[in-house]
Amino acid sequence: MIAAAEIPVHCAPFGVESRRPPAAVDSSSPLSDHELMLAVRGGNLDAMGELFERHHGPLFGYLTKLTGNRAAAEDILQNVFQRMLKYRHTYRDQGSFTAWMYHLGRRCSSDYFRKASHGPQAVDPADLEAHADDALGVDELAASTDDHALLRRALERLDRDDREVLLLSRLQELSFAEVANILECSVGAARVRAHRALRALRDHYFQLQKESLP
Amino acid sequence: MNCPECIEQMAALAAGSLDEAAAVPVRAHLAACPDCQREYATLTRTLEKLDALPARPPSHRMRAALAGMIETEKLGQRDQAPFAASLRREADRPRRRAWLPAVLQMLGVAAVLAIGLLVGEREGEHKAEARELAAVRAKVDTMSQLVEQSVLQKRTDGDRLETVLTAASAPKPDERVIDGLINTMAFDPSVNVRLNALNGLYAHADQEVVRAGVLACLVRESNPLVQVSMIDFLVAAKAREAGPVLRKLAADDQVDADVRESARRAGELL
Repeated sequence: MIAAAEIPVHCAPFGVESRRPPAAVDSSSPLSDHELMLAVRGGNLDAMGELFERHHGPLFGYLTKLTGNRAAAEDILQNVFQRMLKYRHTYRDQGSFTAWMYHLGRRCSSDYFRKASHGPQAVDPADLEAHADDALGVDELAASTDDHALLRRALERLDRDDREVLLLSRLQELSFAEVANILECSVGAARVRAHRALRALRDHYFQLQKESLP
Repeated sequence: MNCPECIEQMAALAAGSLDEAAAVPVRAHLAACPDCQREYATLTRTLEKLDALPARPPSHRMRAALAGMIETEKLGQRDQAPFAASLRREADRPRRRAWLPAVLQMLGVAAVLAIGLLVGEREGEHKAEARELAAVRAKVDTMSQLVEQSVLQKRTDGDRLETVLTAASAPKPDERVIDGLINTMAFDPSVNVRLNALNGLYAHADQEVVRAGVLACLVRESNPLVQVSMIDFLVAAKAREAGPVLRKLAADDQVDADVRESARRAGELL
């Protein structure tokens, strides 16, 4: 179980949890992510559904690229939203929802990588069926040297930290300051790490491209 | 600006994170240096390809899982009774047949995990684990807390499946384990876990609450395979009270053809 103490200082509860009644979500005018999350914090848990619809796609894309594994990305995605619900009271009045979400994503993916390093994970047979289309087919195998496949392999060759900072830095939803906050480092350090990771990715990518040539 | 200085800055320029004042000398150098231009082009190409890397959406079960999580949190918020418990209360009322609960609130994930705790305690096969579970149980004094603990302990489909199989094979499961299996059958996002929870209930088909649970789940179930299995269960349990629901299913054009046919046959048999 995750102790509340694991939530970092910058995500710590902002003052006393609101005692206001649950905020209703007005469907006539779209609320911002921040307003929706405040509604969730205030007790309107259904508002989390709208946040999921808005953000699960980009977050899942990020997690898939980070882990290179769709099933793992789904597990992490689920854990992120579970923690959002569980730790909703830690969301700050002046917080950025996306930064908070990716911060939790970083936590959950770290847990995944730690567990993955300790041995194989149990697989539900239903998962195998659900992800059967992820296996490479004949056509996909033939096309496995295409740019996307090469780039995915190049990403896999990056250190996890490099992959993480590079992928976070390419997310439109996050400023560099937010990326730095998520990585718990200075903005300058985040920039340097992202640029170093980009160069490393470029080198791996072109190396793989050379290797794939007949 | 010389080439090493330019190379130092060009990743930031390619990523669009260089401020304008710093970008001017880099651009000026690039305009005059073919080597650095080539270097810069490789970085921008890599970034374009990274940004264009496609990512398919996650499976639909993610939405179901989120809905379940929200309901579980609501359970903790409202301190309301779980699905199976509400069925049990209704079943315990003498001669009352309107047992269908008005509110379905319990998440199968949470429920199956709750029975994981209970079964783990009862079996006592792994003493260390049993002690740990006992310690957890000692800390919780409400059902919602129990569920919360369980969700965090066993999260993957594989873990929940294992828990269901263990619970289903328990020689003398108590009321709470059976309730857990019903809740799992009702709300778990995995078809496989739901089917195994249903199979685990065959041994208890003589209990009214179990038959009522399967019938209530049949109405809300969306997977045809699970629906057909539930209909088979009701036939095996000789649940005559299922007649109206089966007739309604058999006549519903929106329902899967195999399910309609199974419902029709079951209606005739019952």
